[in-house]
Amino acid sequence: MTTTATAAGPAAPAGLKERLPGFLRIPHLGLVAVIAVVVVFAASRTDKFLTVTNLLNVSRQVAVVSIIAGGLTLLMTAGGMDFSMASITGVGTAVAAQLIEGGSPVWQAVLATLGLATLLGLVNGVAVTFTNVAPFVVTLATATLLDGVKLLVLGGFSISIGLSLSWLGNGAVLGVPTLVVVAAAVLIVIGIVMRHTVFGRDAFAIGGNEDVARLSGVKVARNKLVLYAVAGLLSGLAAIMLVSRLAASSPETGGLALQLEAVAAVVIGGTSLAGGRGTVVGTALGVVLLGIVGNVLNLLQISSYYHLVATGAVLLVAAVFNSLHKSGH
Amino acid sequence: MTAPLDNAVEAPLPVAPPVIRVRGVVKRFGGAAALKGVSVDFRPGEIHALMGMNGAGKSTLVQLLAGVHAPDAGTIEVGGAAHDHLTPRQARRLGIATVPQRRELVLGLTVAENVMLGALPGRGGFVDRRAMRATARDALRQLGIDLDVDRTVADLTVPEQTMVEVAREVNRGGDALILDEPTACLGAEDAEQIRALVRRLSAAGKAVIYISHHIDEVLGLADRLTVLRDGEVVAGAAAGEMDERSLVRAMVGREVVSVRPPRRAPRPEVGLALTGLRDGRFIEHLDVEVRRGEIVAVLGPAGDAQSRLFDLVSGRRRPGGGAFAVDGRAVPFGRVGRSLGAGLRCVTGDRRTLGLVPELSVDENVMLAHDRLHRRRLHFPAALARRAAPLREAYKVRALQRNPAVGRLSGGNQQKVLLAKWLGTDPAACFLEEPTNGVDVAAMAEIHALIDALADRGVAVLLASSSAEEVMRLAASVLAVRGGRAVAGFDVDAVTREELIAAVLGGALREPQPRPALQGDPT
Repeated sequence: MTTTATAAGPAAPAGLKERLPGFLRIPHLGLVAVIAVVVVFAASRTDKFLTVTNLLNVSRQVAVVSIIAGGLTLLMTAGGMDFSMASITGVGTAVAAQLIEGGSPVWQAVLATLGLATLLGLVNGVAVTFTNVAPFVVTLATATLLDGVKLLVLGGFSISIGLSLSWLGNGAVLGVPTLVVVAAAVLIVIGIVMRHTVFGRDAFAIGGNEDVARLSGVKVARNKLVLYAVAGLLSGLAAIMLVSRLAASSPETGGLALQLEAVAAVVIGGTSLAGGRGTVVGTALGVVLLGIVGNVLNLLQISSYYHLVATGAVLLVAAVFNSLHKSGH
Repeated sequence: MTAPLDNAVEAPLPVAPPVIRVRGVVKRFGGAAALKGVSVDFRPGEIHALMGMNGAGKSTLVQLLAGVHAPDAGTIEVGGAAHDHLTPRQARRLGIATVPQRRELVLGLTVAENVMLGALPGRGGFVDRRAMRATARDALRQLGIDLDVDRTVADLTVPEQTMVEVAREVNRGGDALILDEPTACLGAEDAEQIRALVRRLSAAGKAVIYISHHIDEVLGLADRLTVLRDGEVVAGAAAGEMDERSLVRAMVGREVVSVRPPRRAPRPEVGLALTGLRDGRFIEHLDVEVRRGEIVAVLGPAGDAQSRLFDLVSGRRRPGGGAFAVDGRAVPFGRVGRSLGAGLRCVTGDRRTLGLVPELSVDENVMLAHDRLHRRRLHFPAALARRAAPLREAYKVRALQRNPAVGRLSGGNQQKVLLAKWLGTDPAACFLEEPTNGVDVAAMAEIHALIDALADRGVAVLLASSSAEEVMRLAASVLAVRGGRAVAGFDVDAVTREELIAAVLGGALREPQPRPALQGDPT
């Protein structure tokens, strides 16, 4: 039962890492190395990869996924799971687009979306906390349900919001896309919460051993409700970011494909599905890796069919690597 | 149950060549050496006890034999062939089998299926159930085990499950069996069943490597003793050449005395009271009152009423009926927060599932309850380490690294972390369940002293235990329970150990009856 040493991780180094010389004991070394290899490969095959335009483009795409993946990291560390986050995002884009198109002020639409998303997360939380149904089942059910709701809200069509949120979707702060600034800020906050607040450490304790956490005075039910509500809130934030980037909501926005990418990124980053272990740095690296791989496939004009193949393959390799690393042999 | 091998112990067989020869093995973890050049022989037909305190290197040695770790130096010779390391598969093929402390059985399958697990006889992908049952029955009969092969393993008692596991290992071709504390947490009769099985194994020519913390047990059972201390062999002798004192001294390196200190008279106020407690068929009726500064014990056979108390007083579960008060104020059942808020601290006897978060660090586990009780909001490892340091010191938690995950500590140190976690939070009343479970003699003496100090500070201590020795060492008065009922109350100064044991076991030794508290007990 050894665990790997990671940025926000709780445990001492074990296994492989002990045998490495000091300067190589960087957290997530393997993941950083893989990203470096992919970057070198991409740069050698096409000039378009290492251009400012392309990298900004990748970073904007990655920003939305990283918000969902960040919330999921916190939740999964506490032994939870929310498969409906990207579906909440989908519904959120639809609601925001309908409101803006219907003439509501943008700030009202944004607040309504965030509020609705938080509420949906809380509904997941109530179902998970006060029943014995597995979180996976509850949130898979709400994910399916919400994907249907999204179609109902949109009436089956795309709805454009014009330029009303372009300051977010296409704006920049000191040359950095606003979306990326928001995503980085959210990830940093999650990282600090996980590392330096008792609320974050409670998540590790609940994920590691829920009974012990409860007996130690951790308010497990309240913590879980908050965690699911936060997952909902972040899904809503992702919805605002997504609708601002696309300037529209369509039936394909959000939903299962986006969710799988977020789950994949979290797992690639070394967060345990069983709870008790997780890091935001790993998740961020996982998101970046998947984003770059998708981008490279695009640039090399490889059929988009291979995109899913590549994501799945990266996930499988990373999961196997993490499990080998964890067992320390 | 007779012990057919008494004569074999007195007149050992002409010395057989060892099946396993360990020569100068060294094993380091990180910078710390767990084994420093250990050499030892294990012979067929011999019960060889490995003794030592928590962290002395017993587990590491056993893990090298089982192929879990590779030694950094030295060799392991099995059947004449030297290996510089073994893989788990090799170890198994060479006949080295391990029966770990935690049962590795598939609870939903039958005895026969478990005995034959991994080697189910069959044809064309279908299991030949007749052959499976016949082979399993033979395997059990050869070891003198009388068990219906069609029973589901989940319905068996703990010693019966151990027997199934031993039978499986022997059936797979195990010649050297490593038994890791097979009698831990067992009552006297159950433990005797296991010891009888061990004697039959050695009579059948198996080399038995037996790990136990019970000194009396080992002296009565083993043919040969090897004592490890700090990774070195400090004593190796035939069992007859050592007595309790020399054994303890070899293990600890000094003499350990754990005697009851003179204790101040308890204060008049009642710190903890349970009245008319009922819980299904596990507790029929129980009244206990503990004054501040007093230690009262509830003593019963393992798995009886006293092992239900933790869930009830900690607030994990509501009992069928009864009342409960801390410091004279009624506390509702079934609310963890209310039990804690009343000043009651409950220390589980099952630290693995209810005590510690193995992935979290020692410091974090030590402060886990404290920081929640004090409603802290922020967490900084350096500040946490500073606050945890005095507790780690006071409870003598020893770790090879500065602050490892608590799951990497030895059992005794984990137990000390658990006690530090709860007893460092300024309790008004304390419930302790088997506080020295799986702990070596030195750690046990330290833990006993900590509990003495707790009572001296005026804390009401309720102790739930299945060990008459521990109860006599710690408590002032004892309530004996059997079959879910209180059968007698004693003042410790006016009772002998034998009287206590007799009260707890009752007539069960002569006329075995089904004990309701054990049947269908999922724990």
